[in-house]
Amino acid sequence: MDYFGLMPEDCLSEILSFTSPEDTARLSTSSRGFNFAAESDVVWEKFLPSDYQNIISKSKSLMASPSMKQLYFSLCDSPILTDGGKMSFSLDKKTGKKCFMVSARELAISWSDTPHYWSWSSHPDSRFSEVANLRFVCWLDMRGKIETRLLSKRTNYVAYLVFKLKSGYYGLETANTFVRFVDRESDNEAEERASVVSLSTQEEHGENRSKRRDNGWLEIEMGKFFNDAGEDGDVEARLMEVRRLSAKGGLIVQGIEFRPE
Amino acid sequence: MSSSTKFLTLKTNDKEEFVLDEAIAIRSQTIKNMVEDDCVSNVIPLPNVDSKTMIKVIEYWKKHSEEGISKDKLMDFDKAFVKVDQSILYALILAANFLNDAEMLDMICQEVANRIKGKTPEEIRKEFNIENDFTPEEEEEIRNENVWAFE
Repeated sequence: MDYFGLMPEDCLSEILSFTSPEDTARLSTSSRGFNFAAESDVVWEKFLPSDYQNIISKSKSLMASPSMKQLYFSLCDSPILTDGGKMSFSLDKKTGKKCFMVSARELAISWSDTPHYWSWSSHPDSRFSEVANLRFVCWLDMRGKIETRLLSKRTNYVAYLVFKLKSGYYGLETANTFVRFVDRESDNEAEERASVVSLSTQEEHGENRSKRRDNGWLEIEMGKFFNDAGEDGDVEARLMEVRRLSAKGGLIVQGIEFRPE
Repeated sequence: MSSSTKFLTLKTNDKEEFVLDEAIAIRSQTIKNMVEDDCVSNVIPLPNVDSKTMIKVIEYWKKHSEEGISKDKLMDFDKAFVKVDQSILYALILAANFLNDAEMLDMICQEVANRIKGKTPEEIRKEFNIENDFTPEEEEEIRNENVWAFE
């Protein structure tokens, strides 16, 4: 017997709310009953982070959504700016877990206050009002952090540097990256287990290469961490090349993104 | 048993009567509302629940009302409680929904959700005898809308 077909829609919605966004989307293609139940606010409100109202209230860039499902997909597809444009917030579509990008302005970038080395400008493809343009440095070092309590609990996260390369970029073949819990590990300890990555898209520099994302941006994995209960204080991602002090230039930085693996 | 213990008689749709301590029966918000509104006569009819299902519901209510029972024991009980055929789970969902017992409803919905998670629409249809009642055009449209979930 088709028990699901006989079940009241609100019970079917209740069941779907215990699956995942990905499961619900898949199941909605199995029958009309499931498709109808998968529209319910009960389902999609459960898939939103429990503190979504608090996050949304800190943003000015979100339009009112007529349904929870529309709100959910709007937050997946169009990141909103929070904290006065210092960060952006979005959802991972398959799991509903929280993604944040810390804008370039909120990163600690060595020499970024010296216009000869780094300049600041708006960029048509950036979600933030400013991006950091690397004109020329020998000492490349940038780091960004976020409070673990903001992130989804019991979730594996990856930190990414989000950037573009200008034609004629140079000196970006290698850099060290690592992620650390600021209260638990010193910079020196963490640096010992750093990964070597390449921001360059042309040359072969091992497996840790950049990947393409929307709007012509690139991203490179800086490191992974497990956010348990959100009680680990700040987590920091850092990228540096201060050993090979040859000249480096042609990099545009949008920010550092923390998103579920 | 203290003299102040009140009993309610619940009558299922197959005319079986169950006499139950009121303190246990009001785990059902529906029954609780009836008791509080004072519209309880001698017998409370449960037109949406049959006796076979009511026996399971009462088993659950009694276990969850035991004084001093450990969380681990309750978890073991719940685990065994939901290890039943889907026809019984279906009846329990309808009963929990009608009786308005959110805790029990959540637990059973979670179990059904666990049984459907990670499966393809084809597997779900086969396992639960769900009829694909979409027209081919509708199915294609809905499939396209949700293509991200199949990647």
